[in-house]
Amino acid sequence: MKEIKVNLTVHCEGLSCPLPVMKTKQAMETVRPGDVIEVVATDRGSIADLKGWAQRTGHQYIGLREEEGRYRHYLRRALPEEEKQEQQFPDTADCEELKEALSREDVRVLDVREPAEYAFGHIPGARNIPLGDLDDRLEELDPSRTWYVICRTGQRSDLACRQLAEKGLRVKNVVPGMIAWDGPIEQDF
Amino acid sequence: MAEKKKRVAIIASSGSVETAYKVLNIASAAAAMEAEAAVFFTFDGLRIIHRQGIHQLAPGAGKEDLKDRLARSGVPSIPELLDLAKSSGVRLIGCQMTMDLMGIEPSDLIDGVEIGGAATFLDYAFDAEVTLSF
Repeated sequence: MKEIKVNLTVHCEGLSCPLPVMKTKQAMETVRPGDVIEVVATDRGSIADLKGWAQRTGHQYIGLREEEGRYRHYLRRALPEEEKQEQQFPDTADCEELKEALSREDVRVLDVREPAEYAFGHIPGARNIPLGDLDDRLEELDPSRTWYVICRTGQRSDLACRQLAEKGLRVKNVVPGMIAWDGPIEQDF
Repeated sequence: MAEKKKRVAIIASSGSVETAYKVLNIASAAAAMEAEAAVFFTFDGLRIIHRQGIHQLAPGAGKEDLKDRLARSGVPSIPELLDLAKSSGVRLIGCQMTMDLMGIEPSDLIDGVEIGGAATFLDYAFDAEVTLSF
């Protein structure tokens, strides 16, 4: 099974309810907002419990992979309210517009979510560079193309667009983002 | 989340090993879900937080096989669960009236336990969204 890059892995093998939830909570408090953790559990109840826990606490449940009696859960720590700002980048496109643009030769898609989010479902052909890595990986973006930048809700892609436009790239922020995308989806595993 | 914390109030009035698990699992899970949780230990339930009693918890009648099953299952022990509950902020309240009745001193109870009466529990439980009794 292909590895998914995460900030922290929490081992809950052999542990029963309520320990997977409690260890997840403790681990989540040690990572930064926006970071992704992987929780490896053997408790079947963890499937429903961790989803419920994430919904209640406001963290993002990204997805689940099952292998040989192990459940690998991926969760992303929520950002505090004050970090959620108005979207400021003026040049935006909605998902319908992006679907039409995909047939154009000069258009590329940049997905700035975390690798785990990308792995669980992305637009086919989209390039994945998490927002935090953008500065170091600028040279991967062909400046002769128009880049449609997407994340989950349009927040991170807004920051990315501002960053990239400053470097002279042609960018559009896709709003609201993957939560509204109903076109084709590709998974990495 | 910015909204007010949910509140869970639990009464433990039986001292069987399954009661201890039910009470501590739910209280700990509530704390993990960022709710406030408090357990009021009264009558036989007081055994769960009693220094000696905690090591002598027995399954209820007809559930004698539970001890073996628990030992085989990898479920944490009751003292471990109590530590987890305390470290995640669960309030443990011993019933003063039961203590007086049974001649139990505060020093007989495990560390980190509050002592109070029915009003202490009710003062907390009046504002609880979830109230459970075991």
